[in-house]
Amino acid sequence: MAVTLYWMQAGGCSGDSMSLLNANSPDLLEILQELDVDLLWHSSLSVANRTSQRALLERLQSGEQRLDVLCVEGAVIRGPGGTGMYDTLHGQAKKNLIWALAHKAKHVIAIGTCASHGGISARGDVEGTGLQYHGRKRGGFLGEDFVAGCGLPVVNLPGCPVHPSVVTQALSAVVHGATLDLDAWQAPTAWYGTTVHQGCTRNEYHEYRVEEREFGEKGCMFFHMGCNGPLVRGPCNKLLWNGRSSKTRVGVPCFGCTDPDFPKSFPFFQTRNIEGLPIDLPDGINRAHYLAYKGMAAAAAPERLKGRESNI
Amino acid sequence: MAVQTIEVPLNRVEGDLEIRVAVEDGRVVDAWSAGTQFRGFERMLVGRAPLDGLVITPRICGLCSTSHLYVASRALDQLAGVTPPPDAIRVRNIALLVENLQSDMRHAFLLFGADFVNAAYEGQPLYEEARRRYAPLAGSAAVAALRATRKILEIVAILGGQWPHSSFMVPGGVASAVGPIEFLQCRHVLARFRHYYETDVLGCALERIAELKSSADLDAWLDEAPAHRDSELGFYLRFARAAGFERMGKGHGNFVSGGSLDIPEGSAVQAQGGGRQLVPAGFLSSDGAGSVFDQREVAEHIAHSWFTGYEGGMHPSTGVTEPYATGAEGDRYSWAKAPRYAGQPAEVGPLAELLLAGHPLLQALVAEQQGPNVFVRHLARLLRAAAMLPAMETWLAELGKDAGGLVLHGVKMRDGEGIGLGAAARGMLGHWLRVEAGRISRYQVIPPTAWNGSPRDSGNVRGPWEQALCGTPVEDLDNPVAIGHVVRSFDPCLVCTVHALDAGNGKPHGRIRI
Ligand code: SF4
Repeated sequence: MAVTLYWMQAGGCSGDSMSLLNANSPDLLEILQELDVDLLWHSSLSVANRTSQRALLERLQSGEQRLDVLCVEGAVIRGPGGTGMYDTLHGQAKKNLIWALAHKAKHVIAIGTCASHGGISARGDVEGTGLQYHGRKRGGFLGEDFVAGCGLPVVNLPGCPVHPSVVTQALSAVVHGATLDLDAWQAPTAWYGTTVHQGCTRNEYHEYRVEEREFGEKGCMFFHMGCNGPLVRGPCNKLLWNGRSSKTRVGVPCFGCTDPDFPKSFPFFQTRNIEGLPIDLPDGINRAHYLAYKGMAAAAAPERLKGRESNI
Repeated sequence: MAVQTIEVPLNRVEGDLEIRVAVEDGRVVDAWSAGTQFRGFERMLVGRAPLDGLVITPRICGLCSTSHLYVASRALDQLAGVTPPPDAIRVRNIALLVENLQSDMRHAFLLFGADFVNAAYEGQPLYEEARRRYAPLAGSAAVAALRATRKILEIVAILGGQWPHSSFMVPGGVASAVGPIEFLQCRHVLARFRHYYETDVLGCALERIAELKSSADLDAWLDEAPAHRDSELGFYLRFARAAGFERMGKGHGNFVSGGSLDIPEGSAVQAQGGGRQLVPAGFLSSDGAGSVFDQREVAEHIAHSWFTGYEGGMHPSTGVTEPYATGAEGDRYSWAKAPRYAGQPAEVGPLAELLLAGHPLLQALVAEQQGPNVFVRHLARLLRAAAMLPAMETWLAELGKDAGGLVLHGVKMRDGEGIGLGAAARGMLGHWLRVEAGRISRYQVIPPTAWNGSPRDSGNVRGPWEQALCGTPVEDLDNPVAIGHVVRSFDPCLVCTVHALDAGNGKPHGRIRI
């Protein structure tokens, strides 16, 4: 029996969908075919007109149409004043529809940081929130106790945007009934178990604290340029983007877009520091030991790295 | 200090754009375009560090994040008083064009083309062929476009780390640690795109298309070879003729472009339209008169939008954005403001830009057909790649020969104002930025769909696609397919939804409720 999937666009930028179109091996068409997914609705891919979409939504809400997977992209918009009228569909607040479908679906997947934690859409005046988290706080739109039909809470796939392979692989896992270990933020450890830093081609610079101070210098960006790579979890340097590269490999600091607090309120392109030493250190590290280690590492840095001989 | 705003109107999908029309005797007699989502980016940027716009603004739109990055970095260049080195300009231009071209192809073959298989065309001679090509997620053109666009976006990842949502363009250049080997990889990827575009989309070489100068030339080209008839362009010409696209979606006939793609010093690429850019700036009015573009002529009206605080139009560097959510009746009907140029509505996008650049075929078609229409507007989008690919190839080949590097060092931010303009896939995009005491005090964005999909202004003049909708035939109120063609000819950010209000006894609906 085909797996039915409804893709709901809420308050976001469509970046997750656009990124999903870049999935490769399998690509979006291949994965839908192989998993026998019946894509009931995706607003940028469906051709159904308004009348039939409305009828579909009614059948889903009455239970006449089974819903196996609900993917929500974007934050749930509750403003102004809790009415949700900043984001409407067919003249109704979209949040009410999300609530109704989430309570019918077997699996609920939050696509991207906005749907997972509120993200950038929770920062403005629109009272945006994530499906089951608001920033780091559990609860969000559906509430702490929410579980989907399958017995699992919302599965969060954060990222701004989420990596397309994470989406296709997660769909595959859900359809095949593979166990997904979820971390403290309800994100599967399969993709969120390592830091973004892991796999960055600048790791050797990081190791010896050969640091960039200006754009384009080719060094680690942790001490000065605001790189969040060692602070946040995500697969950017494991799966790579568009099959090619990642921001940190190219020389753009990681802004921590998978983090529950993204976007942080501090300036993006500089490391918060006291006397040149970062305030935020890698997760779980002993500050004194770390700083001692970094001091020694810098002293031990080989000339070929300081001279950027590898040209990476 | 008043709340400052970046406003993101009816950008994308699923009900974020609702079109309402009044229909009389099978024709649209009036139309209202309503943005149904307000996202209010203001709190995010006001009070932040000047460079933070490079991270926040790309996330306004997942379809054109590189375009936001491009104009945000230009506004910061201006603020800092720097000109990036020639190779940095090349890298920025190439990345922006990659995003534009992939967007054109996705729009044409995943979105616009999906209407060709609309039930309204069932039984017509071209319907089966349309299904083979455009059936959603399965048609040959849709599948090929998905693969080709995914591939060409690799160029942005090679140069900038990822697409969408990178932040590699920075004041003074690009933060990219890339060199000759990466540039060569980009050339190979671009060569694959040219191959796809010439084989699938055109059915001939770019150079052959550049020779066409009139509708007679276009007709002759269609009959010249089976490869022309069978290409996506050939199919489009045949389908558009059968469906009467030339007679739909005329609109006001004003065009505006803020200019885009600076020609780097020492480049062999020729500037267009007399300026120093590949996409010229300018305003073309419906009577055929052209004028020099002056960003001071841009003003936003809110008389019909759910905002309050002023009357008439205000320049984006001074305007305010106060949501007025309770006024959901009567005159106000959209979360979009109404931008106007010199007091007039104007359409933006590839047609505007190519007309200003003097594209002979498009100029001839607009003259012959007495103004724009669905046919020529979409044709411009299909042909933009033919106009842009040679410049991209030249810039890629020139990269690495200039000794100026990819970024200036020691760039300092200072207080003041910066304006960034550029051409996103859907047309002119502008960022207006002010920095005071080292922090952003104002950031205003006008995206292209705000121009094309704007509501009425203070003078009660319709926005471009509201006007273009007037006169559109509606045979089936439940399935007004022509309305989709008209609005999608402007490439609205993804899907738009259409409301058809039956005007009953010839009385148009004058009042909009949500
Ligand atoms: S640049 Fe960032 S991700 Fe790369 S090694 Fe340094 S800290 Fe880690």
